[in-house]
Amino acid sequence: MSSVLPAWSEPFAEDRRAALARQMPFADIDRGWAFGDGSGAGVVVAVVDSGIEGGHPAVGGMLRQSVRVELDGDDARIVPDEPIDAVGHGTACAGIVHGLAPAATLLSVRVLGADNRGKGLAFAAGLDWAVGQGASVINLSLSSRSESMYGTLHDLADRAYFANALLVCAANNVAVASYPSLFSSVVSVAAHDVRDPEAWFYNPRPPVEFGAYGLDVDVAWKDGGRIVATGNSFAAPHIAGLAARIRSAHPAVSPFEVKTILAATASSTS
Amino acid sequence: MTADPDALLSALRAIAIRVEAARRLSPTAGTAILRSIVDATVLLFDAEAASIALHDAATDRLVFTVAAGDQGQGVVGLSIGPAEGVAGYVFSSGQPLALADVADDARFERTTAEQTGYVPRTLVAVPLIDDEGVLGVLEVLDKRGDGSFDLRDIELASAFARQAAVAIRSSRLERDTATLLATALTSLSAGSDDGGTAESNTGAAGGSDVESVVAAAVANLDGDEAEPLWALADQVARIRAVDPAQLDLVRELLAVLVGRAERGHAGRSRLR
Repeated sequence: MSSVLPAWSEPFAEDRRAALARQMPFADIDRGWAFGDGSGAGVVVAVVDSGIEGGHPAVGGMLRQSVRVELDGDDARIVPDEPIDAVGHGTACAGIVHGLAPAATLLSVRVLGADNRGKGLAFAAGLDWAVGQGASVINLSLSSRSESMYGTLHDLADRAYFANALLVCAANNVAVASYPSLFSSVVSVAAHDVRDPEAWFYNPRPPVEFGAYGLDVDVAWKDGGRIVATGNSFAAPHIAGLAARIRSAHPAVSPFEVKTILAATASSTS
Repeated sequence: MTADPDALLSALRAIAIRVEAARRLSPTAGTAILRSIVDATVLLFDAEAASIALHDAATDRLVFTVAAGDQGQGVVGLSIGPAEGVAGYVFSSGQPLALADVADDARFERTTAEQTGYVPRTLVAVPLIDDEGVLGVLEVLDKRGDGSFDLRDIELASAFARQAAVAIRSSRLERDTATLLATALTSLSAGSDDGGTAESNTGAAGGSDVESVVAAAVANLDGDEAEPLWALADQVARIRAVDPAQLDLVRELLAVLVGRAERGHAGRSRLR
């Protein structure tokens, strides 16, 4: 029977349908079930940002590898990088992830480029690499406003999704279109003002579906320092850390199922 | 197009006069708008300082162009790498952010702080974004009183940044228009030049050259097609952001054009 169906319909053929059985009763989902031991063990989280300071206490020695993207015209190459962060921002994001999923392994992909075009190319190369390294959660507290990068970034978001990698993207604080945070396959995150790392909200009206802690967050910064920071950039890694917990407790779930579990376990709004 | 040579001549004279007038005005009206934006930002936030850094594509650096507030002036002229520090991060990531307790951490932006002589306690930095990408960064330093910048402040600063981005793009359009004009005039001058300098050229080029250069110059401009000269004149009159050397070139070439048109007019009753 499956042989007469188009390739994309094969998973729904009668003799294959058993593989579609739901793995969990959705009505009974709570955080205890969703997070398991809450450690994030076995999950690789890539932070695509300004680098991660490997020796910073906030990342607890969990940084496994650092690379950066070098651009040469239209070619983007991945080269090894020192475990450093010239800004502090990537370390802040990594510290937030580590705080919520302390046993998750961290990868640093440094992609900050000069222009929008370079940034898009760097995104592409950096994401490809992270997916290839087995990252199942990728934090992107960056975005591109460039219409010219729309196609490239859309293709990337699709590739990540099909490779079972969950992209967690900070929405731009400015009300303009920015990519890939507005694509449907990603988890788009804005900041709320509840000062609790484990408070997050689900917004049933896309494109920005999740709100997480992003106001006056005490974060790691460069040279072993700390700073108090505000922005969607710091909300996204909270969701990335929570997603790492879910993927650790339930390795078989797919990106959209992680999104669903996050929605099902979001904080009550009452 | 059949132009009345007298009208053409007077229009060219008007252009030359208006370009000269523009040259004497503030050379960078774009900067004046940016300055008014940082002034307003400081007032609205009751902040110690505000500044705008613009990306210079030629050097690939972020250059602090304008600043306002008692503590802000030291930063003007400073340039940093496009991914360096907080401003660089905001520029290259497109993500706004606010930071607090900055001064508690002596390591924070030490280099920049040393260069400007002012280390802020709190700051908000937002990208200057328009439809084509990120042009630069607006920074606001230290709200007076003890508050740090919140999400609402980020939104508000972003609105100012949006205004600045529109102003910058508009002033770049004016500059592009000026460049277009200069290029058209240069090619005309070179095309009919018999070896002498532009000023000494006394060749027989006539009004038809004037017409063709005007047509070339207005080809890509919006405006009333029946009055391309006035469209050109209006564009030229808007030239304020153009650099003085280029403005001089345009002025010089226009003077040559007027001279030629006068000779052409003397030799022929109609331009075509």
